[in-house]
Amino acid sequence: MQKRLTLGFFFTLFICTTFIPIVWMFGSSLYEDGRFSFVYYRDIFFTQRYVKVILNSLILASITTALALLAGVPAGFFLSKTNLPLKNVFKICFLIPFIIPSYIVGIAWANLLGRTGFLNTLLSQYTTLSPESISNFMYSLYGASFILSINLFPVIMLMTEYALKNVNPRLEESGLIAGGIFQVVRQITLPLVAPAILSSMMIVFILSLSEFGIPSLLQVNVLTTQIFTQFSAFYNEKAATAIAFPLIVITIMLMILEQVYFRGKSFEILGRRASNETIHYQERWLTVAGTLFCTFIFILCVIVPLITLMVNSKTVSAYYDAFRLAKNGIKNTILYGSLGATFLTVVGFFLGYLSEKVRSKLKNSIAPFIWLFFAVPATVIGIGLIKVCNRPEGIFQFIYGSLWIIILGYGARFLPLSSRIMANYFKQVSNSTEEAGIVMGASWFRILKKIIVPLQGHGIVAAWLISFMFCVGELGTTILVYPPGHETLPITLFTVMVNSPANIVSALSLIIVAMTLLPLGIFLATSRYFLTMKAKGSRVLR
Amino acid sequence: MNVLEVKHVIKILGKKEVVRGVSFEVERGQLLALLGPSGCGKTTTLRMIAGLEVPDYGEIWIDGALASSGQKVVMAQKERHIGMVFQDLALWPHMTVYKNIEFGLKATGLTRAERQKRIKAVFDKVNMQKYANEYPARLSGGQQQLIAIARAIATEPKLLLMDEPLSNIDAQLRDDIRKEIKRIQQETEITTVYVTHDQEDAFLLADKIAVMNAGVVEQIDNPEEIYFFPGSLFVANFIGESNAIRVRIVDRDKVVTPWGELVCRTKGHERGEAFLFFRPHQVQIEQNGFYEGVIIKREFIGGRYRYYIEIPKGEIKFYNQKFYRIGEPIRFSIKEANLLFS
Repeated sequence: MQKRLTLGFFFTLFICTTFIPIVWMFGSSLYEDGRFSFVYYRDIFFTQRYVKVILNSLILASITTALALLAGVPAGFFLSKTNLPLKNVFKICFLIPFIIPSYIVGIAWANLLGRTGFLNTLLSQYTTLSPESISNFMYSLYGASFILSINLFPVIMLMTEYALKNVNPRLEESGLIAGGIFQVVRQITLPLVAPAILSSMMIVFILSLSEFGIPSLLQVNVLTTQIFTQFSAFYNEKAATAIAFPLIVITIMLMILEQVYFRGKSFEILGRRASNETIHYQERWLTVAGTLFCTFIFILCVIVPLITLMVNSKTVSAYYDAFRLAKNGIKNTILYGSLGATFLTVVGFFLGYLSEKVRSKLKNSIAPFIWLFFAVPATVIGIGLIKVCNRPEGIFQFIYGSLWIIILGYGARFLPLSSRIMANYFKQVSNSTEEAGIVMGASWFRILKKIIVPLQGHGIVAAWLISFMFCVGELGTTILVYPPGHETLPITLFTVMVNSPANIVSALSLIIVAMTLLPLGIFLATSRYFLTMKAKGSRVLR
Repeated sequence: MNVLEVKHVIKILGKKEVVRGVSFEVERGQLLALLGPSGCGKTTTLRMIAGLEVPDYGEIWIDGALASSGQKVVMAQKERHIGMVFQDLALWPHMTVYKNIEFGLKATGLTRAERQKRIKAVFDKVNMQKYANEYPARLSGGQQQLIAIARAIATEPKLLLMDEPLSNIDAQLRDDIRKEIKRIQQETEITTVYVTHDQEDAFLLADKIAVMNAGVVEQIDNPEEIYFFPGSLFVANFIGESNAIRVRIVDRDKVVTPWGELVCRTKGHERGEAFLFFRPHQVQIEQNGFYEGVIIKREFIGGRYRYYIEIPKGEIKFYNQKFYRIGEPIRFSIKEANLLFS
C-alpha cells in the first residue's frame, strides 16, 4: 500500500506537470467563441508561409543530423576501437558542447563569422567570399544547422561508442581471421551497430526540430521561433498552439517509431556501463587518423567557441560588469537550478523505479510513455504551463507569480531525462535485493530507506548533477513562464545581448559555461569516488 | 503436522499457465526439494509461497493458517515468518555482514540485546563470527552463501525457502556448501523447500522430492522411490540414466516386448501402448540370460564401461567392468522392470 500510494502520487505529479498542460493547450485551441473550430489549424495547413516554416524546420533538422553523423560516428569509432592518446580527455571534452547551452556556442561562432568577426575578415581577405555572404551564411538555416550539429554530435558519438563497446569481440575476431580491418568494420561491426546509430540520428533529428535557442539567436524562421513570436509578440496563444501541432505530431511520431523499432535503446548510455571486453585496432595509421580527426573536432567544437568568448570578453572588468549586471540572474539560476535538480531527482527516482522495477501489465508502456515527452519542444511546454496556471484561483495564482512556475517548467522539460537516468541505474540492481527485505517483513519505506536509496547513491548524484546542468542552461520554457524579477542567467543573457557591448555578452556566456561545467567536474570526481569504493570491494557484490 | 500445504495452485504469466495445479505438503522439520528442468515453474511456485507472486487459483497454507486463496492475499509477507535464500544471494553490498543479518531482526521488533544474542547464535551455527564487520564483497563465494543462509534463518522462520542457492558456484565448493546446508538444516530442524534443477542436490539434501515438469508435479516421493520407481516417463528420463522400451499390452499383466511375450504388472491396463522401464544397472549379463543382443557401442566412464546393446527396434544401456568387443553377441537378464505410460 505504501509503495502504491507513493508511486501513484509521483506518477500523478508527472501527469499534472507534463501531460495535462499540453493536452489542455491543444484542447482549448480547438475552441473559438465557445464553439468547436479548426480555424487556426486551417491557417497552418493551407498558408504557404507556414508550409515554408515547417519545411525550414525539417531542413534544419536534416542538415544538423547529417553533420552530427559525420562528426559523431567517426569520433565514437576512434574513441572505442583505437588506442587513441588522451582518449578520456577527448571523451570528456566532447561532452562539453552538449552540456553547455547551444546558444553559447552560437554566440561564439556568430562573433567569429559575423560581419566584423575575426574569421569573417580573414576569410574575406584570402578568398573571394564577401563579408556579407559569410555573415549571411551564419544567420541562415545552414549556419544554424552547423551550430546545432556542434551541440548535438556528442549524442551520436556517445551512442556509437557505447554500441561499439558492446559488440561481442568474438564476432569481430572471427572476421579478422579471414579478412582485413576495412572489411570487418564495413561488413561486421557497422551493420551490428547500425540500429544504435539510426536511433541516435533520430534523437538528434527530434532535438533539432524542437530547438529554440539557436534559431532564435540566428533569427531563423522555424516552427519553434514562430510559436514564440505568435505567443509573445502577438499574444495569439491559439495560433501558437496550432503552429506547435505539426511539430508535436512529427516529433511524437518519430519518437514512437524510435521506441517501437529500437525498443527504447536511446540514452541507455546514461548510467550504464559498457562491456570491458572490446577489440582495439592497433594500426598506427588508424591512431594517427583518429588523433587528427578528434583534434580537429575538439578545436572546432570546444577550443574555438571558448577561446572566442575569452578573447571577446577582453578585460577582467567585463566579468565584473557581467557579474554586476547578472547578479540577480546568477543568484536565481543557482537557487532555481538546485531546486529544479532536486525536484527532478526525487520525482525521477520514483518514476525510474516505477518504469523499471514495478511489475504490472503496463510496465512496458510506462517508460516509453514518459520518454515521449522529451520530444515536446520547450516553447510548447511553456505555453501549456501558462495556459494551466494563469487563472485567478489561489494556488494557481501563487504558482504562476512565483519561482515555482519555473521549477514546474524544468520538471516538465527534464523529468523524462532524469527518470530515464534513474531507470538505467535501477536496471543494474537485481530485484532480489529488495525481495530479500520484503520476505523479512520490512515495510516498503524501510526497504526504500535502508536498501533502495543507499544502493542508488551514484545514480542519485548523477541524476542531480545532470539535471542541474540542464536546468542552468534552460531557455525555451523559462523565457515564456518566468515572472518579473525571477529571470535566470540565460534570460539575462538574451536580454542584454540586444543592447550590451559584445565583451559583456561574452563574459556572461563564459559564466554560464562555468556554471554548467562545474557539475560535470563534480560528477567526474564523484564517479571516481564510487569506482574507488567499488575497487575496494565494499560497494558492489559479485 | 504439515508446516506448508500447497493446494491446486495455478499461476498464469502473460498468456501462459506456468504453474498448473500444483499440490504438495511439507511436514515439520522436513526438507522438500522441488526438482525440475529450467522453466518448469518451480521458482514461481517458491515465490508464491514467499508471497512475492500472487497465485491465480488455489490455496497456500502456512503452519495451519491460510496464507493466500486464489488471488486474495490473506497473509502479508511479514506474517508468513519465512526466510529465503535467493539464487543470486541478494546480500546487500552496502551493509556489513552484521547489518545484513540484523535487518530482518529489526523488523521483528526485538531489543538490541536480544538481536545481538540472536546474531551471535546464528554466527555460531554457520561458523562465521569473525566476518561480522566485513562487507559481503570481501567474502569468498562459499562464505557469501553461508551468510545468506545465516540471514535467512536468523529470524527463526517457520519455513526456509531456498532458490537454487548452489547454482553459481564451482563443483568442489558446491559439495562443501551442500554438506553445510544439510548440517544446518538438521541442527535447526527448520522446515525447508529447496528449489533445484540438479538431481545430486535433491538426492543428497531432501527428505522428499517433488519432480516438476511443465508446470505440474509429476511425482512426490522419497529419493529412493523416485529413482527406482519413477511414476512417469518424464521422471524416468530426467532422473539418472534409464532404458525405456516401447511395448504393447495385450492382456492383463501381459505385454509384448521386442523379444516376445512377458508377464509384467500392467497396473490395470488390458490394452494399449506403454514403456518397459529399467535402470542400466538392472541389466545383468548372464550366459543363460533371457534376452539376447549385440554390443554396438562402448564408452569408458572411469572404473567401468557403458555399453549399448542393439535389440530389435531399439537399443539399451548397461554398465559393466568387464571388457566386451563391439559386435559381440551377448545374453542378458533384466532384474527388475516397471511399466510406464506416456
